[in-house]
Parts: sequence; C-alpha cells; structure tokens
Amino acid sequence: MNKAVELAGLRKKKKFRTVQTQYIGELFVLLAPALLSTLVFGYLPMISNYMAFLDYRLTNGFMGLDSPFVGFKNFDFLAQAWFYKIVGRTFLYSICGIAVSYPSALILALCFNELRSLRFKKIVQTISYVPHFVSWVTVASIVYMFLTVEYEGLFNNLRQALGFEGRISFMQRADYFLPLLVISSIWKNLGWSTILYMSAMSSIEEQLYEAAMVDGASRLQRALYITLPGLVPIFCIQLIFSMGNLFNSSFDQVFNLQNDVIQADVMTLNLYTYFYGIVNQRFAHAAAVGLFNGIISVILICSTNAITRRLSDTGIF
Amino acid sequence: MDIEINRANPAPKLSGAAIRRSKGERIFDALNIVGMLVLGIVMLYPFYYVLIIAFNSPTDTAASPLWLFPRQLTLLNFETVLQYPGLARAFLVTALRCLVAPFYSVSVCFMAAYALSNRHLPWRRFIVFFLLLPTFIGGSMVSTYIVIARLKLINTFWVFVLPGAFAYFISVVMRASLDNLPAELQESAMLDGASYYRIFFQIMLPLSKSVLAAFFFFAVVSNWLDLNSSLFYITKKNLYTLQYIMHLVLKSNEAANIIDHNSMSMDRLVEDMERMREKPTPLSVRMAITALVTFPILFIYPFFQHYFVKGMLTGAVKA
Repeated sequence: MNKAVELAGLRKKKKFRTVQTQYIGELFVLLAPALLSTLVFGYLPMISNYMAFLDYRLTNGFMGLDSPFVGFKNFDFLAQAWFYKIVGRTFLYSICGIAVSYPSALILALCFNELRSLRFKKIVQTISYVPHFVSWVTVASIVYMFLTVEYEGLFNNLRQALGFEGRISFMQRADYFLPLLVISSIWKNLGWSTILYMSAMSSIEEQLYEAAMVDGASRLQRALYITLPGLVPIFCIQLIFSMGNLFNSSFDQVFNLQNDVIQADVMTLNLYTYFYGIVNQRFAHAAAVGLFNGIISVILICSTNAITRRLSDTGIF
Repeated sequence: MDIEINRANPAPKLSGAAIRRSKGERIFDALNIVGMLVLGIVMLYPFYYVLIIAFNSPTDTAASPLWLFPRQLTLLNFETVLQYPGLARAFLVTALRCLVAPFYSVSVCFMAAYALSNRHLPWRRFIVFFLLLPTFIGGSMVSTYIVIARLKLINTFWVFVLPGAFAYFISVVMRASLDNLPAELQESAMLDGASYYRIFFQIMLPLSKSVLAAFFFFAVVSNWLDLNSSLFYITKKNLYTLQYIMHLVLKSNEAANIIDHNSMSMDRLVEDMERMREKPTPLSVRMAITALVTFPILFIYPFFQHYFVKGMLTGAVKA
C-alpha cells in the first residue's frame, strides 16, 4: 500500500520535472533584474571599497581601481585623537537614543493596552503614528521654528512666559544637541515603534488573562505579570539587534538637525564620510573611514546574532 | 487590529461593569486618558504651529509670540512660495519619482520573490546567498557614490529609481506571502501546461494584489520623504525634489532667493507699492514650504494606515 503511494508520488514528481525544466529559463528571466541590481548596486560598491587602499583618482581605469596601491596609508586616521572623539560621539548618540526610545515605546504600548475605550485607543494610536510619515527635513524645520531666538521660537516664548531671563539660541549650542536628538527621535518614532509590541500583545494567550482574573489578579498585576513578560522576548531581540547599529548613528537625523555653527562639535562617523567623501571629494580617505565603520558593524552584527541565537534561538543567519 | 486588541485585554468583556474597578484603577484610567490626550497634543501641535505661522502675517509673527491662533490671517507666505518657479518643477520630479520608483522596485522584488519561492529553481541556496550578502557587507557611502558616478547616473532621473530598487528584505516578505498560497495552484496549472510566465501573471500577480499594494504605498512614502539621493547625486536644478528644496530653504539662503525672486518682477513692485504690501520673512517662507511639502503625505496616510501597519507587521514578524 505504502509502496504504491510512494510510486505514484515518484511518477508525479518525474512528470513535473519534464514540464518544469522546459520553462526553467523563465524563472531566471524573472530573477534577472534582481540579480543585476544586486550585482551593480550591491557588489560593485563592495568591491570598490578596495579604493581605501589606493591613492585614488576617479579617472584611473575602470572605476579608478588602477590607481597606485598605497597599503594602509589612508588608514592613518586610526592613530589620531580626533577620530576616536568622533567614534565616541557616534557611540554616545546611539546609546542614548536606544536607552530612551526602546523603554518608552514599551511603556506606551502597555498604556495603550490599558485603554478601555477601543475607539479612543484607535484614534490615539493613529495620531501617534503621524510623525513617522514626516521627513527629517520637516522635523529639522519644525525644530528650528521651536528653538529659534526670534519671536517665532516657541521654547523661548515659553521660557519668557514662565519668567526666565533671556532668550537662548539652542540651535547654536552643541551641548543641547544630544537632548535634541533624543527628543526628536522619540517624537518621530515613539508611536510607530509600539506597533510591534501591540502585535506581540495580541499573541499572548487569552486563557492566561482569564485564569489570572479567576484568581483575583488586579489589572496592574495582569499587566505586570502577564503582558510585560510576554513582551520581554521581543524587547530583548530588538535591543540586541540595535547593537549592530551602534556605530551607525542615523545620518538623516544628525545631518538635518545640525547646522554650520555646531557642525564640528556634533560630527559623527556618517556625517564625516559625507562631508569628506562626497562634498570635498576626498574619496580614498572617506572610503577608509567608511570601510572601518563597515567592518565594525559587521563584527557587531555577527556577534549580536550569535548572542541572540544562544539566548532565544532566533537569528538572522 | 481591533480584534487583536480585544484579545489582549479581555477585561471589559468579562467583568463588563465599571463597579468592579477599584479606586486605584479608576485613578489610573483617568491618568492614562489624560496622558493619551497630552500625547496626542504633543504629536500634533508641532504641525499646527507650522500652519499658524504659515498663515499668519510675517511682520506680525516677528513682532510677538504666537500660541494658538493666527492673529492676522494671510496667504502671502504661500503666494510667495508658489510663485517660486523651481517649486512646480520639483513637484513634478517628486511625483514622477514617487510613481516610477515604487513601480519598478515592487516589480523587481516581486519577480524575484516568485522565482525564489519556486522549489524547482536550480542553485536556489546560492542565489539567496548572493542576494542576501550585500545587505550585510555592502559598500560604504563613498564607494556607492563612486559606482553611481562611474555609471553616469549622477544628475539623471534614474538615480532615484535604480539604486534602491531591489531590497532582499522586501522580497523575503513577498515570498512568504506567496508561500502561503496553496501549492496545488501552481501544480495544477503546470499540469495544464502553463508556463512560469503565465502562472506568474495570471495566478500569482492577481492573488498578491494586496501585498503588492502595501509595498507600493510604502515605497511611495519613502520616495516622497527621501532626501539623501538628491543630496548625494543631484546638483542640477531641474532635478531638485521637494524635500531637497525644503532642505535648501532651511540650510542656505534659498528662502531669501524665493523672497527676492518674488519682489523682483516689476508688476509685483508696483502692486506692492500700491497695496503697501508687506514682505515675507525667511522664517515664514520656511513654514509655508514645510506645510506644502509635509501635508500631502499626511493626508494620504490615514486612508492607507491599514496597509502600513500590516506591512510593518509582516515585515517585522518575518524578519
């Protein structure tokens, strides 16, 4: 009996083979744009990272890769103090961002979950997603409007209304930049990042809540002992994954919020590569910085992946 | 969403009555609602502030603080901005980009997703690896710039379309949705002698409409919001996008240029003299342009919110 089924299966498979091989080329045609796109915009840039080891001229041969080889000369920044200052700053910006934004999203998700009116909850959620659909240019524009010394500056107006003396030019002072980054990224992403938690909550089993209620658990207890532990795994995974981006502060955010006055004091790795590589066209130097940054990121991603694997059996590869 | 939320907190369904709530709970509920109202205000007030400044008379705005309502309504700021000749062109470029790039990107990703979802594709593991690798060890900003420069894409429209077209991550999500379709669909079509093209266009494409629409909207929004490709690769005025113009207005003297351009024309000068018209300030022009660039997408968003949330979730879960 079993054998018959098996045989039938085999025969069926064989028939498929013949039909499918006939058209197999079509699959490759469908795949071609993706392959080509990856080759050109994924692999060529990867290969041209090699320019970090060259005395690079754009016009030397194909992609300038015929330029003279200079070894690690372009990496001399590794011995210089300013570079570590930039690295440290990039690190600080990312750490602060992560430390504030992740927990606040978790708390907000818990509060959303406790709202009793579904209608109200839906409206608030929708509103909280809105800033996600705004570019960093707009955010920078709004921030500028809020912080300027002139009478359009809402913060200075508030300060004066509350009786503080003098108007502060927040945008021109580098020491206000970190809070600015943290607050602006919370405003922009807080609501949106609750989505993941909300969906994780919906997969917590209902029986748990019912059992807890039968046992007389209060709402606080239910939130603390059922909902919260249900969210911890996804919270940890997110946290660990974000470690891979520790040295990639958001280029869009920092670039748009900085200005010429404080630029040197808020320079991050990404910004540095942009200003030196693309604006000043010092390609080899910027490519070396970029390559260093990329290697660190890969190491961080691989190690965090290994950690997640061990902790929760979820990894990307 | 509603159903999920219900499951997460079944309290209303079971206890039903408010009597059961203790005093502490009631205080918490009240605080929670107040907190949510504050949150709503914090999220929306900045947009409102942009609007009141954009609609208020610039000299009046510069004279004293503005809080909740415009004191002297005027359309002057918008008039000034709209007369800037670069703006219409930028809108055109942005709109075109927001249609072409998503269409191309979604097609590329979906075709790849279909091919990869097919069990009979030879060397599948290798191809997956090939497509996946650059997302982890890609080029840096500069090496990408070099490649794009050598391909002569700088200062062309295609720089908006081609570079980001294939995203492995998106095609993984699409592939997952294809995998959810019953395998018999393809098998029976094959037995009937359909080619892969035919299966792709007549079965898979119609069945994946909602997924494709979701990713299309995603791409439209990210194209509308994108500044970097203009920032890195565009120097020619006729390819400026709206975001880039807004960036220029914010960062450089472009706001002054807009105002100057406006008062340069002779008719305008005469008209201004006649009407004793005031001149807009750079700040008010900035707010007007911010409003013009930001609000279109915000008005579209609530209608497609469902798609966005769904797309975000499928993406997150599959990743």
